[in-house]
Amino acid sequence: MSWCGLDEQSFHLCCQLLLQQSEQLNDGWSWEVVQGSDEGYLKKTALRVVNINPSRKWDLEGLNSESETQSCQDTERDQSAPVSTDDADDFKGNFDEEVVEDDSVCSEAAGSSLVLQYEYHILFSCSYSVPVLYFRAFTLEGRSLSLEEVWSSVHPNFRLRLQSSPLNTITLQEHPLLGQPFFMLHPCRTEEFMRPVLQEAQHRHRPVNFVLTWLSVVGPVVGLEVPLKYCTLLRPAASPD
Amino acid sequence: MASGTSEAASSAADLKLQFAPFSSALEAGFWHQLTQKKLDDYRLDESPKCIKGYYYNGDPLGLPTRLTLEFSAFEIDGPTPARCCSAIGTLYNTNTLDAFKTTDKKALLEKEAKEIWEAIQSGAALKDPSILSRFILLTFADLKKYHFYYWFCFPALCFPEGIKIVQQPSMLEQVFSAKQVSALQEAYDGLCIKRGTTAVPYFIMKYTDDAVQMAALEDWDAFFADTKKVTVGVYDPCTLSQHPGWPLRNLLVLLAYRWGSKLDTVGVLCFRDRTLQGSRSIQHSLIFQIKLPELLHNSACPKSVGWEKNPKGAMGPRMVNLSECMDPKRLAESSVDLNLKLMRWRLVPSLDLDKVVSTKCLLLGAGTLGCNVARTLMGWGVRRITFVDNAKISYSNPVRQPLYEFEDCLGGGKSKAMAAVDRLTKIFPGVNAEGYNMSIPMPGHPVNFSQATLAQAQRDVEQLEKLISEHDVVFLLMDTRESRWLPTVIAASKRKLVVNAALGFDTFVVMRHGLKKPLLGQGVSAGADSSSSCSSASSSSSTPAGSAPTVPGSSLFSNIPGHKLGCYFCNDVVAPGDSTRDRTLDQQCTVSRPGLAMIAGALAVEMMVSILQHSEGGYAVASSSDDRMNEPPTSLGLVPHQIRGFLSRFDNVLPASLAFDKCTACSPIVLDHYGREGFNFLSKVFNSSHSFLEDLTGLTLLHQETQAAEIWDMSDDESI
Ligand SMILES: [Zn+2]
Repeated sequence: MSWCGLDEQSFHLCCQLLLQQSEQLNDGWSWEVVQGSDEGYLKKTALRVVNINPSRKWDLEGLNSESETQSCQDTERDQSAPVSTDDADDFKGNFDEEVVEDDSVCSEAAGSSLVLQYEYHILFSCSYSVPVLYFRAFTLEGRSLSLEEVWSSVHPNFRLRLQSSPLNTITLQEHPLLGQPFFMLHPCRTEEFMRPVLQEAQHRHRPVNFVLTWLSVVGPVVGLEVPLKYCTLLRPAASPD
Repeated sequence: MASGTSEAASSAADLKLQFAPFSSALEAGFWHQLTQKKLDDYRLDESPKCIKGYYYNGDPLGLPTRLTLEFSAFEIDGPTPARCCSAIGTLYNTNTLDAFKTTDKKALLEKEAKEIWEAIQSGAALKDPSILSRFILLTFADLKKYHFYYWFCFPALCFPEGIKIVQQPSMLEQVFSAKQVSALQEAYDGLCIKRGTTAVPYFIMKYTDDAVQMAALEDWDAFFADTKKVTVGVYDPCTLSQHPGWPLRNLLVLLAYRWGSKLDTVGVLCFRDRTLQGSRSIQHSLIFQIKLPELLHNSACPKSVGWEKNPKGAMGPRMVNLSECMDPKRLAESSVDLNLKLMRWRLVPSLDLDKVVSTKCLLLGAGTLGCNVARTLMGWGVRRITFVDNAKISYSNPVRQPLYEFEDCLGGGKSKAMAAVDRLTKIFPGVNAEGYNMSIPMPGHPVNFSQATLAQAQRDVEQLEKLISEHDVVFLLMDTRESRWLPTVIAASKRKLVVNAALGFDTFVVMRHGLKKPLLGQGVSAGADSSSSCSSASSSSSTPAGSAPTVPGSSLFSNIPGHKLGCYFCNDVVAPGDSTRDRTLDQQCTVSRPGLAMIAGALAVEMMVSILQHSEGGYAVASSSDDRMNEPPTSLGLVPHQIRGFLSRFDNVLPASLAFDKCTACSPIVLDHYGREGFNFLSKVFNSSHSFLEDLTGLTLLHQETQAAEIWDMSDDESI
C-alpha cells in the first residue's frame, strides 16, 4: 500500500491551515519560532482540573494505576508546599504585626482540586515523517509532573488502550527544539493508524488536514480536546452525502 | 456570601462587593529562566527587576483566577499571548533565604501602593490603566537544592468602608437582549482593533436597546458628556458567578478618586469571553451596579492589601521543589528508570524491575570482565555495585576496559577498584558504588611468610566474607582460576548466588553456581545434602522424592534443579594451585579476542537478570539448549546453568552439569571444614600444594592421567 506519511512542507501547510481555523475558533494554537532558527512548532496551553485524594496521589478517576504508582520510588510527594508552619512566623518577618483586615476578599476558594497547566507542542518528525505530539504538565507552582503522575492523569480507558494500542505509549524525551524534557506520544505507529483514515478520505475525495485528523485521534489521550467545529470549517456545507 | 438575587432586596443595603484574588500560576519555564538569569545575569544583584505576567478572561467555570508567569516573563517588551492582558510586576530576588525571610513585605507593598496611588492622582493611570494591575514577586532561588521560595503580592488599595452593591451581579444574558449581547461583542472587538490589540483591560461603555458603544478609559469626559448612566468594563479573569476578579479593585479607586463626587451609582461589566468547542460566548459576563465611596482629593494613600495566601490559606510564602525536573542528577536517575520501565510497558509487562534494580552486586575483579559487567548492570538500573580488585591500571588496559582512560595509567596507575567507582559515579551519579583495593587469598599461594602476612590474609578473608554477606549476587570475574576458589567456598557456604565468567582466547563460559539448599529448615538433612553431591551417573536415582523419575532416553543432564547444579570447580579433576607459576609464558600472555569480554560480561548480567525473574531464583531448574523450543520458564526466557561460547563458530551452547561430590570448592566435605574451622582451614589450603584439597576430597584417588580439558582462565590483563 502507498505510504501515508507527510513531508515537511505539507506539515507546514497543514499547520497553517490549522492555525487559521484555530484563530477563527479561538482554540488557542500559536506558531512558536525557535530563537535563531527558522524551525518552529505549534503550541497550545490548557488547564485541567484534577481531584486530589488525601494521600496526595491523584488521578482523574480515583483509580490507582496498579504498580506504576507504587514503583515510583517513594519520592516524597511534598515537592511543592507552603513553607511549613513552624517556619511561617519566621518567614513573615516583620510583616503581620499589623494584620491588614480585608473584608473585600471573596473567600470562595478552589476546593480540593488541583489545577494543572498543560503545554502541548506539535512538531514534525523527520525520521517518521509524521507529526509528533509533545507535552508537559505542571502544577500552578511550576513543578513538572513526573511520568507516573502524567500516566495517572490519563483516562483509565486510554490507559489500557495505550499499553496495547497502535498509539503506543507516553515516553519522556528531550524536546528536539527546546532541549527540555517533554513527554511525547511515540510516533512509530502514526502512519499505520492514519493510513485507513487517509485512504477513506481519498476514496471519497474529501480534503483532509493530516495534522488535524491525527491530532483528533491522539490529543484526547492526553486531555487535549479538538473541537468538532474544525471539521465543519474544513468541509463546508458543499460536501456530498 | 452573596447568593441568589431573590433575597438580595432585603440585605442589599449591607452587601459589600467582594473580589476574587489572583492565584499565582507559574510555568516551569519561568523557574528555568529565573535560574538562567540568576546564574548569567543577576548573579548577586538584588535590585528590583521588571517582569511581566498575564491573565485571561476565557477560562471555563471552576478554574481559579490566575496571574500566569512563563519563561517569557523576563522579556518585558515581548508579546503577550493572544486575548490575554499583561500585568507588569516587580521581581525582588534575594540572595539568601534569610534575606527572603527578613525582607520588609509591608514596605514593599506600601511602596507599590503609593506608586499606584500617585498614578491615579496624576491621571497617568487613566492613560495607561495597566498600572492598576501591577504585582510584586519576592523570590529566593536555592540553586543547590533547586528549591524556589516565592511570594506574590497583588497590591490593591482599600476603601475603609468597602463598596456597596446597589444591584446584584447578574449574568449578562439576563440583563441584555441577544441583540445587545452581540452589539457588545462587536463593540469590544472594534475597540480591540482600534487599539491594535487582542484584549483591552479596562474600558467604558454606554448602551441603548439596540446599540453598544465603547471607548478607552481616557476618553471618559467626552464619552459620558451627554449621560449620567455610566458603565465601566473590566476584562475579568474570574469565573465566579457573584464576584469580580482582582483587576476591578484599583479601577474603582481610580473612579472614586476622579468622579466619585459626581457619580451616584456606576454600572460594572465584568467582561468574560470564552470559547468552548469552537463557540464563542460572552453571555456569562457579569453586570451589576455599585455605589462608589467618596475619596477626597487631598486624602493620603489608602491602606493596601495583596500578599497572596499560601495553599493552606495562611499568610505566607510558598516553596516549590524542582530538583526532579532541574537537577541533572535527578533527571539522569529518572531517565534511567524510565528507560527500563519502557521495556516493561512495551515488551515484557510481567518484568519485575524492582527485583533487578534493588539487587546488590559484588564484582570480584575490575578488569575487562568487571568493567563490562558493571556497565551492563548500570544499563539494568542496578544501583549497588561493589568492586574488589588489587590491580592498578596499566597502559594496556583502557582500550579493553571501558571504565578506564589513559590518564588513569599515569604515575604508576590508579587502583582499578577505586577508579571504577569514580567512573561509574561519573557515568551515573545515582549509582551506589564502592571499591575495595584488596587481594583475595588463593590456594597454593602461601600466606604464612610472616605473622604480618598471615594477619593480612585473615583480614582479607574476613573482609571478603563480610562483603559476600552484604550482597545478593557475587560475580566471579577474575583472571586466574584459583582466585575464584575462596569466594566460591564462601558464597556456597552463605547460600549466595554466584555468577561466574571466564575467558579463553575465543571461548568463554558464563555460569551460575549451584545454589545449595538453605542451611536451616526443611530439606537440609544429611541425606538431601549427599544426594546433591552425586555424580552425574546417579542423577536419576537422586531426584527428590515425589518428583517423577527421569524419563528413559532423556538427557541425563536435563531438568537439574538449581541446588544440584555444579560450580566452576566441579568439572575439574585437579585442585586449584598456583597456575600463574605453572603456566608457560605462552599461556600467560595469551589474550582473548577483544569482543569476548563484552559478550561474556553482558551475558553474565543477562543471566543474573533471568535468574532473578524466575520464581525460584537460584534454585530454578537449569534450562538447556533443548529447551530453546519450549515454553520459557521466565518472561525473559531461559535460565541456563552455563553458557559456553565459541567465537570461532559464533555459537553458544547451554550445558548443565551436576555438582560433583569430590569438588574441591563446593563439596560437602570442603564446606563442612570451612564451616567448622574457618580461617584455620582456609590458611591450610592457601599454604599447601593442591594435593591438600585433592586428598581431602578424595580427588587424588580418582585422579586420572587426563589433561585438564580446557583452561578457561587466560588473562589479557597481565603485562609481560
Ligand atoms: Zn563444585
